[in-house]
Amino acid sequence: MRTVKEKIRALLSGREHRMVLALFAVVLMTVPLVAGPYGVIVMVDVGLYSIVTMGLILLMGFAGQISLGQGVFFGLGAYMSGIITTRCGLSPWLVLLVAAVAAGAVAIVVGRALVRLRGLIVAGVTLALNLVFCSLVVSLRDLTGGATGLPLIPRLPLGGFAPSNTLFSYYVVWIVAILLLVFSLNLVNSRTGRALKSVNLLAGGSEDTAQVLGVDIIRYKVQVFAVGAIYASIAGSLYAHYTGCIEPGAFGVHFSVLVAIMAIIGGMTSPWGAFLGAGLIVSVNEALREVMPAVVGGSTGAYELIAYGSILVATLLFLPQGLMSIWRRLQPQERFR
Amino acid sequence: MLDLSAILQFFISGVNLGCIYAAIGLGLFVVYGVTGVLNLAQGEFVMLGGMLTVAFYTAGTALVPSLLMAVIIAALVGAMLYRLIIYPARNSSGSTLVFLTLGFAFATEGIALSVWGWEFKSLPSFWGSPNIQLWGATIFGQTPWVVGTTLLLVIGLFFFFGHTIHGKALRACADEPLGARTVGISTDQMALFSFVLAASLGAVVGAVITPLTMTGYGVGMPLTIKGLLAALVGGINRAEGVILGGMALGMAEAISAGLMPSGYHGVIALGILIVVFLSRPRGLLVAPGKV
Repeated sequence: MRTVKEKIRALLSGREHRMVLALFAVVLMTVPLVAGPYGVIVMVDVGLYSIVTMGLILLMGFAGQISLGQGVFFGLGAYMSGIITTRCGLSPWLVLLVAAVAAGAVAIVVGRALVRLRGLIVAGVTLALNLVFCSLVVSLRDLTGGATGLPLIPRLPLGGFAPSNTLFSYYVVWIVAILLLVFSLNLVNSRTGRALKSVNLLAGGSEDTAQVLGVDIIRYKVQVFAVGAIYASIAGSLYAHYTGCIEPGAFGVHFSVLVAIMAIIGGMTSPWGAFLGAGLIVSVNEALREVMPAVVGGSTGAYELIAYGSILVATLLFLPQGLMSIWRRLQPQERFR
Repeated sequence: MLDLSAILQFFISGVNLGCIYAAIGLGLFVVYGVTGVLNLAQGEFVMLGGMLTVAFYTAGTALVPSLLMAVIIAALVGAMLYRLIIYPARNSSGSTLVFLTLGFAFATEGIALSVWGWEFKSLPSFWGSPNIQLWGATIFGQTPWVVGTTLLLVIGLFFFFGHTIHGKALRACADEPLGARTVGISTDQMALFSFVLAASLGAVVGAVITPLTMTGYGVGMPLTIKGLLAALVGGINRAEGVILGGMALGMAEAISAGLMPSGYHGVIALGILIVVFLSRPRGLLVAPGKV
């Protein structure tokens, strides 16, 4: 007779890990049957944020590389999808893939320059890149619609018709999220993942040791930077088709910092952390939006900012490994799952 | 079109903007130099300085006491940031500390938004300084105050770091923390002091630029980013580098604002600086150590 602790430990490791994944997928697919329309809308947000956060977790947790510029790639995906589908009438699905490849290519160029810098400097430079990206979107008015936004982006089609938006978006977003989760878990255990574990201080490795062993750190870091950018771009494309209208404010510095907060709160040692972080922050956001105006009144944005800031500080001070570390304590022998 | 008065105008607005970025960069430099923390909340002190001065001023206080009270409050907030957030995590990695200052910046922005609302606020030019016409170029009445304040701050900082025992102790902490501790300098107190100094610097700048640029709850983060980029381009390890970087960004912004269609100047100036930084990551003034 196994104890509960042992059962959980077993579930979280090895073969039975797949069961957790399957269970996760089944639960998510049945959510719309249980939750009302409001719940589904919230869950679409969680899914979109989870995808971006997962990319950032791979980057920060495994490649040890900070980025406060995921908004750039999210925005690149969204604007490429928005502009190309409205102007050329190409299939949104095709454009989504093209945008992801393009974002990855941009990331390889930028990443090559960034990986040689010290971590905290990279944080500053990526923030600056995000600021430049937003000003650029505002400036290129003819192409992007400027500050007022780019409207009338078509829905994602399914066969010949465009199905009911929210529910369809929910399934698309979450199927993509689960596929990317599987990809992430495989990446973590791939050659790249193992190479990065040898580099990453979080995993007890050291860059110098890895270099001595002949691991080409820079190449792997750039690869993961590109992977993170592709995730963000895919989420951006999905977002553009889901909302139908995009404006530069959605891809600003605050978006990037928010994603970083989700990664930190969820825990950067596992791609699973993305869902915890995104879920928690989106829930807090929704709760504040519902509760605060009724209780205190005033503008809701203020309480969100205060909450995000305090949650980030509290997490870093009291639970620096994030929420996933609570689970990890149940299974000390398995670090990366 | 590109006559003397236009060139003079670019130069004047460039120096003006350059002073703002240099002053913010210096705030980052003081904290980074002494503690190794990249303080992404530096712009929030600029915002607080501006907003608090406006708040006291509109409540009927005279300008100077308003400014002084604003600086004192900002200094206390700076002390709080160090004591309550940075100090408990002083042994964490540099990236953790960056995120802590970011969290603090978010919370500060939120508090400012809930207290003062989202409207932009302004102050009249100090003592009603009139605009000055010089060979066809216009100098805003507030510009001499901005440039003068920055000059005073720079001279003050150089004197402080070069000729006072506290300044030398701060430099010792920056150069060799272990050595500083061995000779009896409290690195902890010096770190606290650097945060207070940076916060006060930021608040003074925030108050002085408000008549020119206006202030609002969200101005802090863009200012932090520009000041940081200026500092990085010039070399964040040296005050001269930070000032040079600030001036470079200010000039680039002023010239591109003059020559390019409106809206593009922010992109071009920041874009150029990012490219310059990425191609010379040690800064224009080469600093020792890895960047």
